[in-house]
Amino acid sequence: MNPKPWRARLGHRTLILLATVYCLFPIYFMLVQSLKTPQEDVFGNPLIVMNPTLENFEELFERKGEVRGFVGDALRRSYPFLDWLANTLVVFAGSVAATLVASVAAAYALGRLRPPGFRWWRRAIFATYVIPQTILFIPLFQVVNGLGLDDNLLALLLIYPSMALPFCVWMLSAYFQHLPREIEEAALIEGASRATAFFRIILPMSRPVLVAAGIFTLGTVASDFMIASVFLLTPHNQTITAGLGTFDVALDELAAVAGVNLLAIPVVTISAVFARGYVRGLTAAMVEGA
Amino acid sequence: MTPVIARRTRRQRELRTAYLLLSPTVLLLLTVLAYPLGWEVWTSFTSLSPLQEGATAFVGLENYRRQLGDPQFWWAATVTVAYAAITSVAKLALGLGFALLLARPFRGRVLVFLAIFLPWAYPAGVSVIGWYWTLNPPTHTAYAPFMGHVKSGVDSVFGGGAWAFVSVILFNIWRGSSFIAVLLLAGINAIPPELFECALLESRSAWRRFRLVTVPLLKPFLALGVFLSLTSAFADLANVWMLTAGRIVFPVIGTHAYWLAIKAGQYGPASALSLTLVPFLLGVLLLLFRLFDPPEPEVI
Repeated sequence: MNPKPWRARLGHRTLILLATVYCLFPIYFMLVQSLKTPQEDVFGNPLIVMNPTLENFEELFERKGEVRGFVGDALRRSYPFLDWLANTLVVFAGSVAATLVASVAAAYALGRLRPPGFRWWRRAIFATYVIPQTILFIPLFQVVNGLGLDDNLLALLLIYPSMALPFCVWMLSAYFQHLPREIEEAALIEGASRATAFFRIILPMSRPVLVAAGIFTLGTVASDFMIASVFLLTPHNQTITAGLGTFDVALDELAAVAGVNLLAIPVVTISAVFARGYVRGLTAAMVEGA
Repeated sequence: MTPVIARRTRRQRELRTAYLLLSPTVLLLLTVLAYPLGWEVWTSFTSLSPLQEGATAFVGLENYRRQLGDPQFWWAATVTVAYAAITSVAKLALGLGFALLLARPFRGRVLVFLAIFLPWAYPAGVSVIGWYWTLNPPTHTAYAPFMGHVKSGVDSVFGGGAWAFVSVILFNIWRGSSFIAVLLLAGINAIPPELFECALLESRSAWRRFRLVTVPLLKPFLALGVFLSLTSAFADLANVWMLTAGRIVFPVIGTHAYWLAIKAGQYGPASALSLTLVPFLLGVLLLLFRLFDPPEPEVI
């Protein structure tokens, strides 16, 4: 094949550049704002930062908010940011772990053991996505109260997995279903139990799909604002998401943007590290006999 | 024991294991969803309201009938359909474009892939806060005048509150196109390269190859993408609604229901309203299942 004409190559490059700018611009913008001093926030160029400072980040970790000159003593506020960070860590890690364990178990049952009507089980589980979320939190509040979990992180640990489970069960069970029977049978003939065959053979093979399920769960959990701000009310019980939601637009803008970045950096880093595994897992789940 | 009986008892044990393994998922979904859904269905037939004194009356289909006669409902339904259609089409188009850009190797592909992956990976629970303050900025910031111009420009054309709504659309498209791009890239990776090579010999037109080879093979991924993009569109809207405490003037079904329930205290009509979406979404899902979860012939 002869090399492509320069015009096609230039077009390709331009499109790539446009796509990259489109995807990164909002992230870049939020990062730049969080590095600004109050003066530069008001008088500087919105798109660049001349004197980057970390004071907005530091402010989040100070138990007592600094007195800001133009605000005055009365409005100073302190944020229990360390508590928020710890709570967020517990909720995110716990939700991902719970979702993975529950969905692997369910997916193995549906994809390998195949009870009668397993396809409809899977479809029914996936169909829970059609339930409208908007006012569901009113009865959900009754459930959470009934379990004695109001204003408790456990409420989120109960609700978040239900948001990611349907997709994870579907993806993992499709993958397990497509694995050829012989994979386990060899082990079973040798006298291994189903459990051994699962932990020794199937689970290690499924690593990419597990990564995909985990990253999907993390993304789903991190995208919630509504549940966190409805169910977590006392400041020291909140996650970063719920806490930042209570910030005041005019006074705390820079600190809030810094908080946004502080949550984003670890989540994005984890996702980026596993990004290729995520794609590979999605592919494997959809393709027969992958 | 004859082998037939042995096999049967083994199968029974297997089934018991299967149901045991399913139970955590089913229990969790039932706890979180069954009671609330039941409550919503029941409430939609009653006049339940936290503001009302005395007993709650059973009103049958009255709440549904009243919705159908309410111009507010039809306005909200129109906006909902428009919102779902605009965001879905834009996300699919952009996502497919990104996926095709990434399909062929070029220098720096990994970095571009990461850039395209980021909008979805960036935690939307907090980026919605950043989004809100960027698009409706505090008045003292340097970018406030510019955003103010954009806002008044859009609002003067489409009516008050239009910019807030448009910005939700932009936010959802930005985030959703990233998710769909990665999903479709996974789909393209699943297509054996030989197929593309064959297609290259068959037809010189890139458009024909795309339409006759790429799209049909991507169908399951496209179907899955459409459905998840619909649900995420509604979830993003709910987040924004929550954050702005209802400062969106353009009502969609979900937010209108929220408004009825929280601001007006009418739980009955609100439940009826939010349930009107379910049959449609279920119908769409059943159609899409045939594409991404087909009943394949049993492998022998």
